[in-house]
Amino acid sequence: MTNEIKLETKAKAPKRRKIASLDKRKARVGWIFILPFIIGFVLVYLPILFDSLMLSFNEMTIVKNGGYTLEFVGFKNYGEALFGEYGTTYIQTLITGIGSLILEVPAILLFSLFMAILLNQKMMGRAAFRAIFFLPVVLATGIMETIENQNILGAYMGETSGIDDGSGSSAADSIVSAIDIETLFASMKVGTKLVGYVVGIVNSIYGIVNRSGVQMLIFLAGLQSISPAIYEACKIDGATGWETFWKVTFPMISPMILVNAVYTIIDSFTTESNTVMSYITSITNKVGDEVSTAMSWIYFLIVILILLIVAGVMSMFVFYQRKD
Amino acid sequence: MDNSTAKIKKETKNKIRAEFERTPLKERLKAKFLNMYFIQTVVIKLFRFIFLLGIAYIVLYPFFTKITGSFMAPEDFVDTTVRLIPKNWTLDMYKSVWVDLNYMKAFSNTLLYSLLLALLQTFTCCLISYGLAKYKFKGNGFIFLLVVLTMLIPHRTLQASMSLKFTYFDIGGILSFLSGGASVGIEAIDNVLASIKILNLPEGLNLNNTIVPLVILSVTGLAFKNGLYIFMLRQFFRGIPDSLEESAYIDGSNDFRTFIQIILPISIPMMITVFLFAFCWQWTDNFYTGLFFINSNKAPLMLAQLTETAVSRSSLEFNYAGQNLYESAFLNTCGIMIILPLVIMYVFLQRYLVEGIERSGLTAE
Repeated sequence: MTNEIKLETKAKAPKRRKIASLDKRKARVGWIFILPFIIGFVLVYLPILFDSLMLSFNEMTIVKNGGYTLEFVGFKNYGEALFGEYGTTYIQTLITGIGSLILEVPAILLFSLFMAILLNQKMMGRAAFRAIFFLPVVLATGIMETIENQNILGAYMGETSGIDDGSGSSAADSIVSAIDIETLFASMKVGTKLVGYVVGIVNSIYGIVNRSGVQMLIFLAGLQSISPAIYEACKIDGATGWETFWKVTFPMISPMILVNAVYTIIDSFTTESNTVMSYITSITNKVGDEVSTAMSWIYFLIVILILLIVAGVMSMFVFYQRKD
Repeated sequence: MDNSTAKIKKETKNKIRAEFERTPLKERLKAKFLNMYFIQTVVIKLFRFIFLLGIAYIVLYPFFTKITGSFMAPEDFVDTTVRLIPKNWTLDMYKSVWVDLNYMKAFSNTLLYSLLLALLQTFTCCLISYGLAKYKFKGNGFIFLLVVLTMLIPHRTLQASMSLKFTYFDIGGILSFLSGGASVGIEAIDNVLASIKILNLPEGLNLNNTIVPLVILSVTGLAFKNGLYIFMLRQFFRGIPDSLEESAYIDGSNDFRTFIQIILPISIPMMITVFLFAFCWQWTDNFYTGLFFINSNKAPLMLAQLTETAVSRSSLEFNYAGQNLYESAFLNTCGIMIILPLVIMYVFLQRYLVEGIERSGLTAE
């Protein structure tokens, strides 16, 4: 009898293995939580991505009674995009557009870090200033960005004299007249390229302020998460504000700088208003979807390359606080 | 120092009274205000205030020009003495936006759609980011990379195929199969397949001019900037101590009940932040609305489409010397009318925007 019973329990043993361990069960629940995204990604996003990639390799003709047919043409669309009718202007737009964006990203990062540190201090009217600075996050996107891009009213109102010629191109947009800064810097002998850069930044200050809202928020969150005890210890040890910033604030906030760099690159490279994107849009209306899709894929690959390089280089210098 | 020595008087047995000669007011003020430290702080504070005021001016100036421009009468745009402040105040442009562009219809549509979509997006992003933050499973990091990828690929790249996808909407060929449109290349099977005619949708559904495409994108966390929300919420959920959920499990609650009854209530401030972002960005979004709501000559369906045909639909007379400026001012008036509801909301809810993120303990890991 005893033997039989033992055998039975042994026979049951393999069944028991089917009951998953806690980790496995947890993993399964985790998958259920992210199921909406998985379904969407596989059923909607991936096909769209695939279609878009296919579209750039095909010629599309829309059938009259609905539907469309594709004809495989290989790299013809890419060839058209780079060397075709609009190829040279595309490459030019690409180079100048990406160049200016690369120069703008550090400016946005610096500005938003600076503003976050200012807005983190206790002072009169802090709530009001915060409310004003985060206004663009909410309001200056989408349709407002489009309106702002075609806006000639603001430029006109900024002028002090002269009758409007309807072009809307007016130097009054810039905060400080470019010539003033240029002469100032030229007398300091710092090189014309740097002067050009600074002048460009100052003149596009509106765009930079508008586009650094989310970054400011992220930096603010990072600053708030630094324990005040560290600052107190610094003060007791007699560190100046400057030293505290470089030895405490900067390393503690360096992960945020990485996040913001990535976000800024994504945001400014994919926004509708940047030169490359608007050029691609204009191409869509002229040549059709295939070539413009090819163009945007080329652009996307370049952006991802830049992003990988920036993230790779920056993550080498990021300081992570150990939490054990 | 002689004056400052205290005179000590014994009043009663247990009480003494010390009398000091007070330093004169002038000297006290001198000591307080005429040192380097005080001057430095004042100068820094002043500089900071002026700087912030300047930046605030840069942010607010375009809104200011929009608002004043919207009250100007046509003759103000050709009058060289008028710049910022209108001479002939008028509400013509607002009237035109209200009546000619059928503002109320677009407004109610946008309100309904934005509310619905923002709620959906907030909830889905909560689910996804909670799964990513609290559960360790193979491919967790990979899924998160995919989330970042959806944020990374420019909409422009996907525009054409996304529009096609929802114009001829079909999930894995099911609709096409049910209406006999499927084919595998073998005649015998094709004949059988062609005889299936349960539905009559060989090309799939046309979902344009409905809210369905946006709902599908929102429910699956693929809508506009959802990657950012998922990132923010994931960071927030990571900050919630595991012991909270563990105690719920010990009390016999399962994962989903814990999520709904424990996690969601304590993350309401963060959810409000995400909801605000989603609502505002959905409200002003003109990419998806332009893609899925194809604007014919009918009244615009969404607020973001107000400007598209605004000038041609308006009853205002644009044809005169200041045409360009007047048209621009009119478009700006449309802009004001678009964001006015958002501004009103922002005034009351802006603190959630900042506080929610501050409280999130957003850190990059």
